[in-house]
Amino acid sequence: MKRVEVKLSLPVVAPLLDVIRELSTELQKSLAAPQALHDLDQDFRGAWIGDLLASQNEDLRALLSLFDGEFFTEGVVAFDESNAEPIVRACTAFRLQLRERRLKALGDEALETGEIDMSGLDEPVRKAFMCYLFLATVQELIIQHLDSTIIGS
Amino acid sequence: MPESRTHTRTDPRASTELQLEDAWRVVVLNDPVNLMSYVVMVFKKVLGFDEAKARKHMLEVHEQGRSVVWVGLRETAEAHVFTLQQWHLTAVLESDEAR
Repeated sequence: MKRVEVKLSLPVVAPLLDVIRELSTELQKSLAAPQALHDLDQDFRGAWIGDLLASQNEDLRALLSLFDGEFFTEGVVAFDESNAEPIVRACTAFRLQLRERRLKALGDEALETGEIDMSGLDEPVRKAFMCYLFLATVQELIIQHLDSTIIGS
Repeated sequence: MPESRTHTRTDPRASTELQLEDAWRVVVLNDPVNLMSYVVMVFKKVLGFDEAKARKHMLEVHEQGRSVVWVGLRETAEAHVFTLQQWHLTAVLESDEAR
């Protein structure tokens, strides 16, 4: 089984976990990407959204479980076929929520290019943007190393 | 996954008519968050595209704002839309009649 271990900088990543936990609470009852479901009848739509939410919450738990006691002692997180897929999805859910709730003022173009003057940002926005970049890095890392594992599963 | 629907059709129509009526499109819309590499991976995983086809559709989404990634029976189209939404892509179901 292919496994990727990443050593993270504790002083950099630990503060971002507060943001991730807040986002996780916000996303307990709402979808990160609200979807237009006009073509479904109301009952079916309710079940559909409920299933999406359950799946989303399961993914968020998988990502949060990366940062357990071992992370705080060793600074290491590990990805393999058992967690790569839910974690890569959870990164997207958190990034969507960050954009919607914390980073809207920066504008989509700036978010996409990453050309943002960090020194000009207020502390909460700076932290949220750091978190946005960190989650993108985790995604890239997983896709780069475990793409075939995810596609084949 | 929500329960699948059962369509009961009693009206006998020509097969070409049925094919037209039953054609549903799965459309993926652009969003400013998802990474290109992520969208390519999702298309490969969910729709079984090869790398070239996945990249073509990803670029279509990115540059034109939308891409029709699958056309066919409603039940299967719904399943694809659900799975794409599970991956947080903005995917919608469109009837071919809406063209």
